[in-house]
Amino acid sequence: MAVGRKNWGTMMDKEKHDDAALDALFSAAAARPERPSDDFMARLADQAIPAPPPAAPATPPSSRAGWLTGFFAASGLSGAAVLGVWIGFVMPEALDTFSLSTDDTVALSTFLPGADLGAALSE
Amino acid sequence: MGQDNRTSASAVDDAPDGALLVAFANGDAAAGRELLDRIAPRIFGYAARVLGDRTEAEDVVQDTMLRLWKMAPDWRQGEAQVSTWAYRVAVNLCTDRLRKRQSRPQVALDQVAEPPADLATAVERMTESARADALQAALGQLPDRQRQAVVLRHLEGLSNPEIAQIMDIGVEAVESLTARAKRSLKAALGGRKEELGYDDG
Repeated sequence: MAVGRKNWGTMMDKEKHDDAALDALFSAAAARPERPSDDFMARLADQAIPAPPPAAPATPPSSRAGWLTGFFAASGLSGAAVLGVWIGFVMPEALDTFSLSTDDTVALSTFLPGADLGAALSE
Repeated sequence: MGQDNRTSASAVDDAPDGALLVAFANGDAAAGRELLDRIAPRIFGYAARVLGDRTEAEDVVQDTMLRLWKMAPDWRQGEAQVSTWAYRVAVNLCTDRLRKRQSRPQVALDQVAEPPADLATAVERMTESARADALQAALGQLPDRQRQAVVLRHLEGLSNPEIAQIMDIGVEAVESLTARAKRSLKAALGGRKEELGYDDG
């Protein structure tokens, strides 16, 4: 009986020692945690974090839109200028007699397509 | 301006994980980066211990974080801890990888540490580095669930209720897993006592 108690006590002592040894291993491992490398963390930050959604634009029209707007404005003026030069080129004598004095009247229909501009101005 | 930046950085540092995730979902990249710095190392530490392979652990971390970002718009604060959610994903990813391994040979204990005739004495004689290596080798011999539970409990320092949530089991089941794991570890570490003349008394 005494031997049995001695053996039981020895086993309990051993169990406690083993538990303490295992705890020492846990402590050692916990104190040396596996850590990701800096390279991996950098890659993770670059690749894994998706870009946040873009904010709504509150900026002036893009340079392309501005360029197009300027083009159409300029082309309108240029068209009028070219038309004037063309009239002067094909009918220089008509322009000599054309004036906007209060005595002259020119009907709007005169400037419609197909009208005889020369005849109208010579009236 | 500079003061604003410092205040903002401090707010990010002090914010709980859930608030950072919500901020990230609303387009705050700095919040996402802070959350990454908090979560990724913990998931890596767990996965590296469970899988015993740093490359595989990196894959698990990357998958876990991608799932976290994808889930961010649907996150509701207060329902769970972000870290618990991330650990849960990582546990499942590790479980899948461990199942696929099946025939992969495990590291033998005697390849890492000298065989302990008396566990306590042997551990006392080991360097800190050798202790960590010996434990890692012994962990590799545990059944998967025991290994996961004991790593979460004794190396990651989580509570049994947290582990229960992560592993989707009851607290008693966690206690059972960790108790069996510790017995298995002691057996693995002292398993050669007969041939080494270690007498149980």
